[in-house]
Formats: sequence, C-alpha cells, structure tokens
Amino acid sequence: MLRPWFSLSDPIWQDFDRLNREMERIFNENYFTTPGLSGTRVPIPAVNIGETPDRVLIYLFAPGLDPENIDLTIEKNMLTISAGRDTSKEIGEDSKVKGYYRKERFSGKFRRVIALPEGLDTSQIEAKYSNGILNISIKKKEEEKAKKIEVAVS
Amino acid sequence: MADVKGNEMAVKTETRPAQEQKRQPVVMTPPVDIYETEEGILLLADMPGVPKENLDVHVDKNLLTIKGEIGDIVPKDISPLYVEFNGKAFERAFTLGPDVDVSKIEASMNAGVLRIFLPKSEEVKPRKIEVSVE
Repeated sequence: MLRPWFSLSDPIWQDFDRLNREMERIFNENYFTTPGLSGTRVPIPAVNIGETPDRVLIYLFAPGLDPENIDLTIEKNMLTISAGRDTSKEIGEDSKVKGYYRKERFSGKFRRVIALPEGLDTSQIEAKYSNGILNISIKKKEEEKAKKIEVAVS
Repeated sequence: MADVKGNEMAVKTETRPAQEQKRQPVVMTPPVDIYETEEGILLLADMPGVPKENLDVHVDKNLLTIKGEIGDIVPKDISPLYVEFNGKAFERAFTLGPDVDVSKIEASMNAGVLRIFLPKSEEVKPRKIEVSVE
C-alpha cells in the first residue's frame, strides 16, 4: 500500500509548526496585539464575523473608544474601520501621576480592513457601539438568502 | 484559595477538576494599565463586551480580583465565519500593597473599560509640614 510521502503527525512537521508559531510570535510583538488565550496574541482590535440567515454580523472588540471618532467606509467589498484612543487622557487631568506599574493596553490609532463576503446589500448597513464592542450588521441581498425548497411527494 | 499568597501566578495555576473546567467559560486575562498618582493607584482594564451587571470586583485581604463575563452579544441563530476572539470571560488578580485604603476603593465601567481607583490611606499620603520660622 502506498503511503503519503509525509504525514502531518511526523515530528519534523511539528517542529516546523513550532518554528512557524515562534516566528509569528516574534514578529507580531511589534504590532498592536493583546494577550489572548493561553499565551497567544491577537491583533488589536480582534474581529469576529458571523452570519445569520439574513445578515452578516461583524464584531470588533475595541474598548474605550469615542463613538464619534469611529470611521467606517465601504469601497467595493472592502470594509475599513478606523479609530483610536489615547490612554494617557483617561488618567484625569487633575491627578498627579508619579509613575506606572503596567502599561499593557493599546494606545494609538488603528485600522482594520475586512473583505466582505459576496452577496451583501451594502446600502443596508447598521453600526452600533456598546460595552466596547462595535457591532456592524449588513443585510444579505434578497436572492442570497437561504430559501427553503419544499420537496413534493408524489 | 486560603493559602494563596496573592500573586497572579498562584491564582492562575489554581487547579480545578477537569469536568468543572470544561463547563467554565473560556477565561482571558484583560490587559491593564496601572498608574500611581499622589492620591492612590489607578487601574484600567480592557474588558470589551462586559456589561456593568456582569462585573465582579472584590478584595479579599490584600488580593484584588476583577472578573467579568461577556454578555449576550450575538443572536441565537448566528454561525461563525471568522473568529479571532473566542473568550467568554475575563479574570485577573492583583496583590495590593499595605498603603491602600481598601474601604475606599471606587470602580466604574465605561465602554468596556474598567476603571478602579485605590486611594492611599491617609498615613502614607505626602504631607506638607509647615516649618515655622522664628
């Protein structure tokens, strides 16, 4: 019987995988990332995308923003979200800061570009910012919605 | 929990039975900024998706614990297309120094940012001592 010329469980691939992850970790340190699950780092702000039968929903986990300064643009199927925050302004003007122990939170501007799936009606888009999550909801075009097809029994 | 000397590692490595752990929501460590001002310690933590009512801030002896669970943000009929963030809750603990006046801790939550102010007790605040010249 023929064996595939490599198997993913082969230790050599695991080493490559580890190297890959290590490289990713090193290079990502310089970007705006935040600690994620079990030692991983995720880009700031993290994005989740999901769909329901009639819409596509985008969740951007970006706490501490001023909703006025969130900029959303759509060009063709590219959705661009740009915003930012200055954590030094959160301290309060009248408090005299002697120093800090931790500075882990992101401060500055960011931009995330998301390629939207096909078949969305980008004229029907809603965005809401609550509890530090930006929720963008885009309607699917009528013809893209899943339709239930009745099966006739004869 | 009783013999934990209040350092972060000790809290994180606290073991739970495997079955119980399965049912626990996925817990993330929120990034924090901690400043010292003349009046006290200011702690800011990013906990996106946590509404005020799902927040638990408490002090046990010298251990400050912050916990928050992400509220229901997605509709029931959603199916994921792309996921970067799959935590369900945040938790982190900090050891407080003896200078903090535990009875006067203030906490507030705004746009997913938890803000805690821990005032220094009166004895350790810098005081100006008037020198009288004769």
